[in-house]
Amino acid sequence: MPRLDQLSEIQRQSAVYFPCLENDTAPWAPWTKDLSTSKVALVSSAGLHLRGDKPFGPGDPTYRVIPSDSNTADVIDSHTSIGWDRTGIYRDLNLAFPMDRLRELVDRKVIGSLSQDYYSFMGAQRDPRKIIEETGPQASEALHAQDVDLVFLVPV
Amino acid sequence: MSVIARVFEEAGLPTVSIALIKEHAKKAKPSRALFVPFPYGYPLGKPNDAEFQHRVIANALELLERPSGPVLEDFPEDAGPTEFVQASAVTSTEDAIKKDAANEVTALRAFYERWIEDGDGRTAVGLSGIPQRRFRGMIRFLQDFAQGEETDMKERPADVLLPQYVRYCVDDLKAFFFESRMAQRPQDSEPELQTWFWGDTAGGQLVAAIAKYMVDTGDEAMARVANGIAR
Repeated sequence: MPRLDQLSEIQRQSAVYFPCLENDTAPWAPWTKDLSTSKVALVSSAGLHLRGDKPFGPGDPTYRVIPSDSNTADVIDSHTSIGWDRTGIYRDLNLAFPMDRLRELVDRKVIGSLSQDYYSFMGAQRDPRKIIEETGPQASEALHAQDVDLVFLVPV
Repeated sequence: MSVIARVFEEAGLPTVSIALIKEHAKKAKPSRALFVPFPYGYPLGKPNDAEFQHRVIANALELLERPSGPVLEDFPEDAGPTEFVQASAVTSTEDAIKKDAANEVTALRAFYERWIEDGDGRTAVGLSGIPQRRFRGMIRFLQDFAQGEETDMKERPADVLLPQYVRYCVDDLKAFFFESRMAQRPQDSEPELQTWFWGDTAGGQLVAAIAKYMVDTGDEAMARVANGIAR
């Protein structure tokens, strides 16, 4: 899990028949750094953004910038799917966007630093071509420009 | 998420991903993924449990030590609610049908304010741009919309179509009701909260009525928005 056999029938059908891309291999950016001196970025597909930023709309392939020093109180979601339970992130945004956890890992010297900006897309899109061809590469450039060493991706 | 992970890896950025559906991760092949057996909406397992969340993150970061990929490993612990109650699974009470959502909003406001105070300002309300103090007006707007009357709100941005704006209002209303209820009854489980909203509140009845109205118009774009409002 959602383990497929634990889903409601409508959710199970939706997951089984989701037009997931199938790949034979994975691209591989080798990990050669030491985590304790690395700069980490957080990227979400939960349709998150700052309160007051433009909400996501249906099939929206764009992303929103969330500065890593933002307060979790100021981050909200406008993901168009109601196929996921919001109750958890109402209680604690870190459940899907662990901003406080990453700050704690810097304090504990597990990771070196955080990128200035985090990013959020809206996942579960049936046609991801714009993300693959346009907005994803734009986000890659923005991450490179901040000398990010590692990207931690969290879906919802 | 696998799609974005692959775009980043292709651009030379090492990634570590959380995967909620193992079957999809097996097909799409993100470079390094930790499968977690949690429900949608709970990628780090447990809200307000920093140590549990840290265990998930630590397990994910450990995947960096694998020399080649794709890497897909399992997180060993289970967490999260086992049930997610949607509107169609709940029978409405007589009381909920008779009540007015606007009066409920007024009655819940003290709990909502307590929620914000206890959570250092955290609230998921904020998509419509309508301040919470004006939610009675938002309820009237939504009631008129569900009746098929011509209506609008001055807060709606010019580039947001009316049905999509209704969706943002509904999301704000849901967040308001759930957060108020969680302040009132912190012990309630997720399915209890969902059953209360869809079965016992006029707010829940209103949201379901909006979705039904949108579907009944026969307009395809409306029906798509309706699917994100209640089902």
